[in-house]
Amino acid sequence: MSALAGAFFSLGNLLNVALSIAVIGILGVGMTAVILTGGIDLSVGSGVALSGVVAALAAHAVDSGAATGGSPSLLPVVAALGAALAVGAAGGVFTGVAVARLRAPAFLVTLALLSIERGLAFLFSSGQAVSDLPAGFNWLGQGIVFGVPVPVWLTAACFGVGWFVLARTTWGRWIYAVGGNEAAAWLAGIDTRGVTLGTYVANGLLVGLAGAVLTARLGAAVPNAGLGYELDVIAAVVVGGTALTGGRGSVLGTLAGAVCIGTLDNALNLANVDPYLQRVVVGVVILLAVLGERLRHRGRT
Amino acid sequence: MRTRRAGAGLPVRVPNADACPSAQRGRRCTARRRVRTEALGNPLTAVVAAVMCIAACSGSGDHAASSGGAVTKVVGVTLLTREQHFYQDLEAGVKDAAARRGYRLVLTSGDFDLAKQQAQIDNFVVQHVDAIIVCPVNSQGIGPAIDRATAAHIPVVSADTKAVGTHVVAAVASDNRAGGQLAATYMVRALGDSGAVAVIGQPETQTGLDRQQAFVDEIGRHPRMAVVAILNGGGVRDRALKAADDILQGHPELRGIFAINDESALGALAAATTRGKTGATFTIVGYDATPEAVKAIKSHSSLKADVAQQPRDIGERSIDALAAYFDHRPVDSVITVPVRVVDAETP
Repeated sequence: MSALAGAFFSLGNLLNVALSIAVIGILGVGMTAVILTGGIDLSVGSGVALSGVVAALAAHAVDSGAATGGSPSLLPVVAALGAALAVGAAGGVFTGVAVARLRAPAFLVTLALLSIERGLAFLFSSGQAVSDLPAGFNWLGQGIVFGVPVPVWLTAACFGVGWFVLARTTWGRWIYAVGGNEAAAWLAGIDTRGVTLGTYVANGLLVGLAGAVLTARLGAAVPNAGLGYELDVIAAVVVGGTALTGGRGSVLGTLAGAVCIGTLDNALNLANVDPYLQRVVVGVVILLAVLGERLRHRGRT
Repeated sequence: MRTRRAGAGLPVRVPNADACPSAQRGRRCTARRRVRTEALGNPLTAVVAAVMCIAACSGSGDHAASSGGAVTKVVGVTLLTREQHFYQDLEAGVKDAAARRGYRLVLTSGDFDLAKQQAQIDNFVVQHVDAIIVCPVNSQGIGPAIDRATAAHIPVVSADTKAVGTHVVAAVASDNRAGGQLAATYMVRALGDSGAVAVIGQPETQTGLDRQQAFVDEIGRHPRMAVVAILNGGGVRDRALKAADDILQGHPELRGIFAINDESALGALAAATTRGKTGATFTIVGYDATPEAVKAIKSHSSLKADVAQQPRDIGERSIDALAAYFDHRPVDSVITVPVRVVDAETP
């Protein structure tokens, strides 16, 4: 048991946990904002796969065009990252327009997008992994700066910016207002449609970034990547105390939620707990966290 | 079409909607909304009709493609998925063998959905196909559907996963236990018969369990070796990567990983490479020998060997079994397609 504790509390393992929650964490920042507006995004897992596949294909397309030169250039890296962000943003625009303009339920729109994006990921990649990515791109997932993996830096940056926007800017106030009471926010002169649309686009950009990071980490884009991530991300957000009804919660709570679930996963793995049992334990912990949060709020009112 | 459009009632109900007091101001008139949604009936029917048309067209296209000259037999095929290399190869084997014999194929895929696959088999029965080849989504759950086909005097062959609790003409499958054992034998040799190893499994599938259990059993026969961790990689690369990260973190002494499929093996390879492990210090053995994995093996990474199944053979021998059945020749009820090890030396 002490050996286990030693392995668990080592600096290496803490970085390991941080790295393992990087993708879920990046997605969690966007999901928190979306849920704060009273929405939801079920398509993030598929979005991660699709943006990864398109990024890899873009890198290949640009690379084969410039391959005659021989020297490694930055162009494929920029193309790949740009493509991933563009795909993510496009998904965000799609959802944002459907939800904000057409008044469609976010649950159903993103459920449809989940299927569409997964299908496109398989179509574009012919169901195969797209590997042999430029080294510069893989650095996004595998590089280390000042002893800390690049994905961890990126995740920290996303949480920092997310926290600042939501807690310290007018835009952030508007997001809380829209989720708290949309009609009241509209009457108060807030462009509620614009805020909702903007939130989904920002979330989309983060999905694109997460797709790029995961692809770079694997060194290949796989069309079945990100299966079930939507549930992991929503779990992290909810365990972090953000209300699914919107208007209440924070990015820092989501960070705590992601760390909590990531740490639990890691500890169960290190302890070599039966994989079947692991799922049960994780579910029970999520349930306890949500119930605890519920009781805390009931006490307050 | 014209009569239906009138039936949607838009022209009739518009005055009704106008009668709504708030209609002029606009937004929340329920009457108008109701009219709108009913009017939606038309485009929706059109969409459904279009989809059915596309399905019918592409379906007939498939038939045309696989029918050579005179069609003698029609074989309904329900694959597990068309999105994995293994089943794409299996499908190719079925197609080739069917084309050689002039059989017409009706190709479908259960897409990991038991209810969908059962419905596909029921459809084959209604279509009066001459035989059915099924790659079961679930070995326990597919039985009743196969029973219904058998009751309709349609012979069924299972390819890859076996069906439990029912009768098939032949069960064509790789020997997954032999594969797990081969992987263990390779691992023992690569590590010089000593050291700690781990398994990245997929305990949700019978094939995954068989491979894992046979590997663990074989390692258990070597007193100086130990399986120190068995984690679930879900058979997909990103989950396997995370599992491998945790294994490598928790067991610095680890010398090898057996992954029950190549997606898991490539995830483990990414984790090992990030931690600076090379082929000199670490051995990963995968399963399936997909082109990407074989490339990694040939490039002398820590992924050193793969157990290769022969999905094309499984597909071809499924058709062969049906051919024997049609000719009233004896058919083996269990047909085992051998597995082999692929490493850097394999041509």
